[in-house]
Amino acid sequence: MPQAAEMKSAPAATKLVQANHVSKIFTRDTFEVRALDDVSIEIAEKEFLALMGPSGSGKTTLLNMIAAIDRPTAGELLVQGENVFRYSDKKIAEWRNRHIGYIFQTFNLIPVLTAFENVELPLLLTKLNKNERRDHVMTALTLVGLGDRVHHLPKQLSGGQEQRVAIARAIVTDPTLLLADEPTGDLDSHSAAEVLEIMKRLNEEFGKTVVMVTHDPNAAAYAHTTRHLEKGMLLPG
Amino acid sequence: MTLSRFATKNAFRNRRRSFITAISIAFSLLLLTLLMSVYRGFYIDQGPPESALRLVTRHKVSLVFWLPSYYREKVRTIPGVVHVSPWNWFGGIYKDTKPENAFAQFGVDPNEIFDVIKEDRVPPDELEAFKRDRAGAAVNRALAEKHGWKVGDKVIVKGTIYPINLEVTIRAIYDSDNAFDSMFFSTEYIDQALPRVKGRTGTLYTLVDSPEHVTSVSKAIDEMFANSPQPTKTETEKGFTLSFVAQLGNVKLFILSICGAVVFAILLVSANTMAMTIRERTREVAVLKTLGFTRRTILSLYIGEAMTISLFGGLLGATGATLLMIIASKMPNGTFFTGFKVNTPTYLVALAVAALVGFVSAFFPSYSASQRNIVDGLRHIG
Repeated sequence: MPQAAEMKSAPAATKLVQANHVSKIFTRDTFEVRALDDVSIEIAEKEFLALMGPSGSGKTTLLNMIAAIDRPTAGELLVQGENVFRYSDKKIAEWRNRHIGYIFQTFNLIPVLTAFENVELPLLLTKLNKNERRDHVMTALTLVGLGDRVHHLPKQLSGGQEQRVAIARAIVTDPTLLLADEPTGDLDSHSAAEVLEIMKRLNEEFGKTVVMVTHDPNAAAYAHTTRHLEKGMLLPG
Repeated sequence: MTLSRFATKNAFRNRRRSFITAISIAFSLLLLTLLMSVYRGFYIDQGPPESALRLVTRHKVSLVFWLPSYYREKVRTIPGVVHVSPWNWFGGIYKDTKPENAFAQFGVDPNEIFDVIKEDRVPPDELEAFKRDRAGAAVNRALAEKHGWKVGDKVIVKGTIYPINLEVTIRAIYDSDNAFDSMFFSTEYIDQALPRVKGRTGTLYTLVDSPEHVTSVSKAIDEMFANSPQPTKTETEKGFTLSFVAQLGNVKLFILSICGAVVFAILLVSANTMAMTIRERTREVAVLKTLGFTRRTILSLYIGEAMTISLFGGLLGATGATLLMIIASKMPNGTFFTGFKVNTPTYLVALAVAALVGFVSAFFPSYSASQRNIVDGLRHIG
């Protein structure tokens, strides 16, 4: 992970994500579920966007599509001007490793790995050597305030600390886009505030574009923009 | 950390389960290694180079029928034959029938037996003493040490086939690489004690001058006596030993069947463990894919994990079998495994089987996991 000064020099704001008339239809047995219905949205670089809406409104589906872990049934979705769905699965995986940092609600850390090793995981897929990986991991962990917890296993950390390790794991490859799916959903209010502060800092100081799915209006308040989804449709902003 | 270190850490994530799986594999591999060593000892190893030059001639119908002693001199005339000695099984009992007192006794020609069995080493003065004394005996060093015999000691062996007791004096103690305990004495001892068996021999041991002549000499011996009242069957020393094994039935098929069953059983154990492990980590696979892990990397990780456990079990099993064979060979009364050993190729084959079991058992569940849709994986509750 580049040093802080390097991260601050982000390129000028352009459209990072462009979804044009995107729909997603899931088929369950004999019936169809329209998870996203003709959604069009643009997300600019360095934006902090909160996606809100009731359960089943399609927030996570949209987030997953931006991360290229789910494909639209119709419409076009461009990230950095590219339609990554045209790539092979292998190339999509490599693209995701380089450009996407994903933060889950339930942290999803590997229980047998220490905080350091968990954060190092995405770097194992890069060409960085051991020393470079160590520098990146330590920078990421220090940034989230866990420089002194590197050898702790997930079970030895609190929920808030686990989520901070997950954030460090998401930013360690210096991705363009940070996607967070209910990052504070499993946290108490104090830990949630800490996590949101970190995300806000990543956006403001390091120029990361953040898209956060949340139910919590307090969490959404940290974002620049909030958009609402309902029954798969994006409500006017 | 490296990806292989990650696989190793995952392999022992659930220590109890991994340990039980590794122990199951270890026991199976121990059995497999023992069986492979027995199979190798019977059917692949040719023994010392001298053994390949030795032929054993017996009655064509069965070992229970005698051959005339004069066959020996006729065999000697065949081109390529270097030495011939009679070889008669005495089958006596020393002290009692306890296994620790059991050893083989053979009536031989003291003047020629150690020319036929060239690899056994006898001190020249003791060999001379053995040749001079018709009531003398030569025993291998391990047997002498087991019973505390020294040169000059008298030993009595009670006959079971012959109605006589052997009362012999140890004249020579020889060193042998062969693990079997044997006593050699002169056939003249029986000939003089039982005139009715004079002129008969059970088998003839023949030393051939070169490996190229072994087949032709064997054929020539049998052709020489084909039309006589006592036709012969001549085979290599190894073949002769295997004919005893063959009396038990199709041992080869039996051993191979058990080997196959063992491999299949450990494959099921390992496959079950891996399927369970991978199913439990469905969500984790999806997380790894979200981080950018490709299907191929995921496949490699899980296969590596399974191979780590199976190789660990394989190492335990193959090493255990090696130690067992060493212990068995040192046991005073001998065991079924006496004379067999786990050699390097067998050990490596056992490890290769373990690795293969790991690979095959993990391949299908790993492949299935690597192909699973990320979204479905993230939704998985398990």
